[in-house]
Amino acid sequence: MELQKKLEILSAAAKYDVSCSSSGSNRKNTKGGIGNSSPAGICHSWSDDGRCISLLKILFTNYCSYDCAYCVNRLSNDIPRAAFTPQEVAALTINFYRRNYIEGLFLSSSIIRDPNYTMEQLYESVRILREEYKFNGYIHLKAIPGADFSLIEAAGRLVDRMSLNIELPSSKGLQLLAPQKSRENILKPMGYVSTKIKEAKDNRKFFKSSPNFVPAGQSTQLIIGATPDHDLKILRLSEGLYKSYGLKRVYYSAYVPVSTNPNLPAINRPPLLREHRLYQADWLLRFYGFTSSELLNEEQPNFDTQLDPKCNWALRNIHLFPVEINKADYEMLLRIPGVGVRSARKIIAARKVKQLDFDDLKKLGIVLKRARFFITCKGKYFSNIGLNETHIREALIDKSQIYSDNWEQISIFSGMLGLPTIEDKIMSLVGEL
Amino acid sequence: MVNYLYDGSFEGLLTCIYEAYYRSEKPDRIYSSEYVQQNLLDENIQISTDPDKASKVYDSIARKISYQCLENIYHAYLSELSGIETNILNYVRLGFKKGKDVDLYLSDDRVLAVHTAAKKVTRECHLMVGLLRFKKLDNNIYYAQYKPDHNITTLISGHFVDRFSDQSWVIHDVKRNYAAVFDKKVCIFTDVSEEAIPITYGIGDDYEKLWKDYFNNICIKERINPKLQKQYMPARYWKFLIEKQL
Repeated sequence: MELQKKLEILSAAAKYDVSCSSSGSNRKNTKGGIGNSSPAGICHSWSDDGRCISLLKILFTNYCSYDCAYCVNRLSNDIPRAAFTPQEVAALTINFYRRNYIEGLFLSSSIIRDPNYTMEQLYESVRILREEYKFNGYIHLKAIPGADFSLIEAAGRLVDRMSLNIELPSSKGLQLLAPQKSRENILKPMGYVSTKIKEAKDNRKFFKSSPNFVPAGQSTQLIIGATPDHDLKILRLSEGLYKSYGLKRVYYSAYVPVSTNPNLPAINRPPLLREHRLYQADWLLRFYGFTSSELLNEEQPNFDTQLDPKCNWALRNIHLFPVEINKADYEMLLRIPGVGVRSARKIIAARKVKQLDFDDLKKLGIVLKRARFFITCKGKYFSNIGLNETHIREALIDKSQIYSDNWEQISIFSGMLGLPTIEDKIMSLVGEL
Repeated sequence: MVNYLYDGSFEGLLTCIYEAYYRSEKPDRIYSSEYVQQNLLDENIQISTDPDKASKVYDSIARKISYQCLENIYHAYLSELSGIETNILNYVRLGFKKGKDVDLYLSDDRVLAVHTAAKKVTRECHLMVGLLRFKKLDNNIYYAQYKPDHNITTLISGHFVDRFSDQSWVIHDVKRNYAAVFDKKVCIFTDVSEEAIPITYGIGDDYEKLWKDYFNNICIKERINPKLQKQYMPARYWKFLIEKQL
């Protein structure tokens, strides 16, 4: 098969994997080698769906021996199949890289033959890149659940990031939709990788030259909306993964209907808003010091579609507000709706030399659309509606959003079926209409 | 109003700052002599660039204010925004009064103007490090054209020196006719003319075709969102993006 055709099939097959970040690693270029990685990550393009393209994201093969209902590459799906050779993957990566199209490689795969064989192929592709091409750019490799740990370890020494996708938030969902996979099977290698990462990090504290292991950390992905699990369950799972496995990222992927399996929900569009809310909450967990139990509880296990999770939290805890901008500590500043990490840092810096008032905040570039209801500057409160939960909620909810579904401006003519006919005119003349 | 005119170089600008402290005519504005318009009420003073004076200003900013301040000034200068020289002068004046704390006065207009300009430059640098596209020419030289809003060629070239240290490349700013040229050893900056554009430029190779295919296949059709795409990747940069060419 021609390389172009293979790339077509295997990039289209990889697109549902969300992760594309190239951050977290600071691998340096070597003498005579090519490439390095940038700790902040670099995006090289944005595809038509607005998602960034940083890595060459491809599957090694989409021949799969599993039949997971939610997956486009499942065994029973009648689609064109292809497989790269390790040499082809390496050459493609290098040539794209040299033209500055990409930051590195994201290599995943369906399960061809068995997990060990698949993992060997992935390892070989990465080995050629690192050893033969002396490539020092970013590599994100999928670890294949069920593959031998020694293979995973060998690959981990070469790559920057590794990931294992949990895909479905509950074991029940996994049983129903992916009977060949088990939760155990995914979490075990994840735990193994996380202990290895820790080990390597500890060693490097004492010996700078000791080998690196997955320096940019581990990540995973959850599919949203393919099972009836609610947001609280998903968020708790993420929280647990961050805490116990030290994961760098949990990605959320709105389920795109790729199958008509009776066990899957019948939806027309992917639940993008729900995905967005989960990402917002995920950020709150990682950078804002929130816990999942603060954001959601058993009575309210799903996120509000109209208001973001932080606003919701603030409104439920209105007794903590208003916050005085000139006095509050960093942690409290971060809890003000509309104030992020960058804004909070700016406020802390600027107030060292000057008491800030409302206009100063505007000049600092702080977004006050939401924040103004929750703050005081030099003791002054600026919003005119008062610190009242219901009033603030009304003011914050974007009116256009509520009506966006199934709503239309009524026109004078919308009741009419068409233009009046001649008979209608006659009828109106004689007074029948 | 007193205007100082300089030759457009960074050293020239620093010389102006020097003269602003030592001459009796204090400047209200600084212009590059290329852009200034003669006006009946203004007095224009041509300041000739003096490397010694410039390095004195350079050192004293680093010592008495901060290295960060120096970096802000250089980035703001590269923004080439109109009136930026005057903003830089005002920022430096404040800096010599406040010392290293000057960058904390985030709501002061003098600081804000320079910070905003510097931010624009560093932001474009970060974007261009990703969006720059090299074409492989017949003689194995990787050649990239682009048209950045700000004069960032010197700033981004270091990244490519580190990254592509085993290939020869050229980064050509066609808006300013300025280029960075790297021959696997040193990187030099030079003015180039339009005619320097290689003849083979524009002829694509197989990998360009593959890249276009990849770009089209990686998009999820159910999630198409052109507004978001343009927000991240402004359409004015598309001219040089292989994946966005038909």
